[in-house]
Amino acid sequence: TVRPKNEVEQKQLCAFGEYVAEILPKYIQQVQVTCFNELELLIHPDGIIPVLTFLRDHTNAQFKSLADLTAVDVPSRQYRFEIVYNLLSLRFNSRIRVKTYTDELTPLDSAVSVHKAANWYEREVWDMYGVFFANHPDLRRILTDYGFEGHPFRKDFPLSGYVEV
Amino acid sequence: PFLQSTGLVGLAVSENPHERLRILYTKILGVLQNIPKDAAYRKYTEQIVNERFSLVQNETDVQKLQDKLNSGQIEEVIVQAENELSLARKMIQWKPWEPLVEEPPADQWRWPI
Repeated sequence: TVRPKNEVEQKQLCAFGEYVAEILPKYIQQVQVTCFNELELLIHPDGIIPVLTFLRDHTNAQFKSLADLTAVDVPSRQYRFEIVYNLLSLRFNSRIRVKTYTDELTPLDSAVSVHKAANWYEREVWDMYGVFFANHPDLRRILTDYGFEGHPFRKDFPLSGYVEV
Repeated sequence: PFLQSTGLVGLAVSENPHERLRILYTKILGVLQNIPKDAAYRKYTEQIVNERFSLVQNETDVQKLQDKLNSGQIEEVIVQAENELSLARKMIQWKPWEPLVEEPPADQWRWPI
């Protein structure tokens, strides 16, 4: 069985994506809507805090809830890490994805000032990938062992690690 | 909300919400004057604020105003207006209506790789 296509929702998401792209042309590089009706905004890394505050505070886009903050490692790119924020709007019952990019050494702005929920998620991204977040209140390891060296989720980290257990 | 509570944790019932909303919307419109006239943010926000402002001024009954605005309790509308005001102040510093800061590398957003 195939999920039936919801054209109405697709059009609404496209319209909303164009609306946001018109308001914030300084940071939004691309907007796309997947075939499963998921809206994605592709952002320049300088625009993390402006875009997230806009999506949280604006009346037409009250995305008050940060559902997820993850990273994707694509080693062949120049900026290998792609940071993904998933936001949920309770007023309008809709979700949106915001994506940024960075390489191993450039710090990103922390989203904690916009969404308190980002605290542990950013600690996890730092621990697992090595993406540094500036202005984070408490950036330290959260899942790896105390003396662990390395960032496990990177694609060049071997599956069974470097240290024998 | 009347005499008891909003039903939401942490939000007190506000007496004269019309007054509070009037003050907030005039402040927002004042802040928006500092943005260039052709910015999309100013256009759309002014449209939203003027629409809500006219509804607030024409409708004195709180219950009917809530139904017309169709945006939850009046206290929530007040909170949303405060958020919009702080956002407008921050927008003046960030200036998001300028053209793109930097183009991404050509293969950055290509998927599958």
